[in-house]
Amino acid sequence: MSKRKFVYFGKYVFLILVAIISIFPMYWMIVSGTNKSVDVIAGKILPGNYLMENLKSLLDTTVLSQAMWNSIRNAVVSMVLNVFVCSLAGYGFEKFHDKYKDKIMSILLLSMMVPTAATVIPLFRMFGKMGLLNTTVGCILPTVSTAFMIFMFRQAAKSFPDEIIEAARIDGVGEWGIYFKMFLPIMKSTYAAAAIVSFMNAWNSYMWPLIVLQNENSKTMPILVSGLTARYTIDYGSMMLAVTISTIPMLIIFFVLQKNFVEGITGSVKS
Amino acid sequence: MKKKILAAILTAAMTIGMVGCGSTSSSDNGNNSASNTEASSNELTVWCWDATFNIPAMEEAEKIYQKDHPDVNVNVVETSWEDIQTKLTTAATSGQTDTLPDIILMNDTALLNNVKNYPDLFADLSDSGIDFSKFASYKTAIGTVDGKNYNVPFDSGVTALYIRTDVIGEAGYSIDDFTDITWSKFIELGEDVLAKTGKPLLSAQAGGPDLLIAMLRSAGDSMFDEDGNPNFAGNDVVAEAVEDYETMVDKGILVEVNDWDQYIGTINNGTVASVINGCWITSTIQAQEDQSGDWGVTTMPRLDNAPNATNYSNNGGAGWMVMNDSPNKDLAIDFLKNTFASSTELYDTILPTTGAVATYLPAAESDAYSQENEFFGGDKIYEKFANYGAEVPAITLGQYWEEAKSALGTALTQIQQGQDIQEALKEADDTVSFAMSE
Repeated sequence: MSKRKFVYFGKYVFLILVAIISIFPMYWMIVSGTNKSVDVIAGKILPGNYLMENLKSLLDTTVLSQAMWNSIRNAVVSMVLNVFVCSLAGYGFEKFHDKYKDKIMSILLLSMMVPTAATVIPLFRMFGKMGLLNTTVGCILPTVSTAFMIFMFRQAAKSFPDEIIEAARIDGVGEWGIYFKMFLPIMKSTYAAAAIVSFMNAWNSYMWPLIVLQNENSKTMPILVSGLTARYTIDYGSMMLAVTISTIPMLIIFFVLQKNFVEGITGSVKS
Repeated sequence: MKKKILAAILTAAMTIGMVGCGSTSSSDNGNNSASNTEASSNELTVWCWDATFNIPAMEEAEKIYQKDHPDVNVNVVETSWEDIQTKLTTAATSGQTDTLPDIILMNDTALLNNVKNYPDLFADLSDSGIDFSKFASYKTAIGTVDGKNYNVPFDSGVTALYIRTDVIGEAGYSIDDFTDITWSKFIELGEDVLAKTGKPLLSAQAGGPDLLIAMLRSAGDSMFDEDGNPNFAGNDVVAEAVEDYETMVDKGILVEVNDWDQYIGTINNGTVASVINGCWITSTIQAQEDQSGDWGVTTMPRLDNAPNATNYSNNGGAGWMVMNDSPNKDLAIDFLKNTFASSTELYDTILPTTGAVATYLPAAESDAYSQENEFFGGDKIYEKFANYGAEVPAITLGQYWEEAKSALGTALTQIQQGQDIQEALKEADDTVSFAMSE
């Protein structure tokens, strides 16, 4: 009995240690936002009273609120479109039959192997010809459809029972109706998982927004933070505050969808 | 119920998105076409970095130019140097140069590479009427490619030895003991300071050869010879600098840290008693207000044996370039000519607020440069920087600066692991030659 207790105790000590290790950087990031730059450098890990000064210097020298709005807008629009388009595609790939569909799918999957850096210049040229450079549409359009998302929805759609579709068809529901009234609500945990992944990708995306957006006022948060790190004298306090602020929307999205996310990853539909 | 809420949220998100999308893209389009048509050529778009240094300088220049040209505006887009390079490369290789601004700030070390790779991208300023002889000669040399001037030099990266006068005072020295000395003398003093106070003199990023390159430059030597070939193997100046560096590491006078943040830490936390770096490090040192009055500024040490050894060098700095395809090219050139290339008033105004030391020589004669600085014990540090700047030897930076820098860093690490100096330098030569042949 006491041996078992000891193992039990040991397990918890181990887990607590691991938890501290993974939470500490996050904690330090938040705390650093309330400290002076020199204190951050000196390794101060207690909250300070320099938060307002850091915030003021951020607001004075950057377009913080504008960048925040741009990021949120781009990420939300990109997430909604991405999840909608890719789920339609994934659903279609799985539930409708065509002799070329597997070939098309493998071409799509091959496109995942091509690194973004290799496609940037052709894409930039293309958007230049289309007059979409320096526009929000130009920034969002390439993220609307991604091979990974289509693949993810196709895999998820495999667990969606054909019987439901057949039953619905017999009852006279149209194909769009089946998608919106059956597939979408039943697969909502997959949607939640996809939404988180998609939002995160859009929120963190750097390279494409960087080259496609040219105005100070169309800047997104990652680009704003990059500007902060490029100063000759880095203000670590306000930089950490900017990073903390830019983490908040992602946290909100994650916590709102968390329950569904876990289900979506593990698979939840039973036929 | 839940479904309805979800649907409502999604619809709302979509609508907001679409509305936001539509309005912004149209206004963006508006701005875009405005900056790219001849008709409304009163706005100059500038890409540069650092909202506490370059950007206020540019904004001050705008104010000065507006006195005579009230209808001209400057639109500064804060962009880090790496990002400017990415955007330049993308625009140049895809031929979409109309996305570029009118003026960019270019890191000195990257100028040659960019001008050689994209010769048509940048405006030739040779016949613009700008008097380039008024700038520090080493700076003008950087912006001159094949006899043509491509940039208006801006800030100085002139190196200085910043030293904690309180620490060396404890060891019985004054700043004069460290002024105009050689590296061997510096090492001798460093050993004594370390023994008496327990503090090493210098810190550096491990594998980051900034200090080595500054040492080379102080002797008029570069990582490249005049023909642009790598200049490591068989170069006595490089070998001497590496040996001095190694001696300092071995004796504990120089501590190596892993990254830039830690390097700043060694300065602000008082781990080390001195700093050798470009004068842009001043505000980082001043950030630690507790140390006010404890610092002094003097010249960096010189190499003992190198034939052209001086106590002056440079690390960093940038200059303004005009884009050749800009519809506002003439306005942009006129703007730079009347501000950064002739206005001492501009340099006077930005010095106290940004600490940007000019390479425009007439600026150094003004009152702003003779201000005493309390943090540095009442020393006229800016006057010193300006004077040092005039003495920095002009060198060829070389087109493959970054490649050479990383090769030298690798060589340094290998030497520390016991490899023979000449052998490691030969390897560095080969690495750079290989990168150049690609």
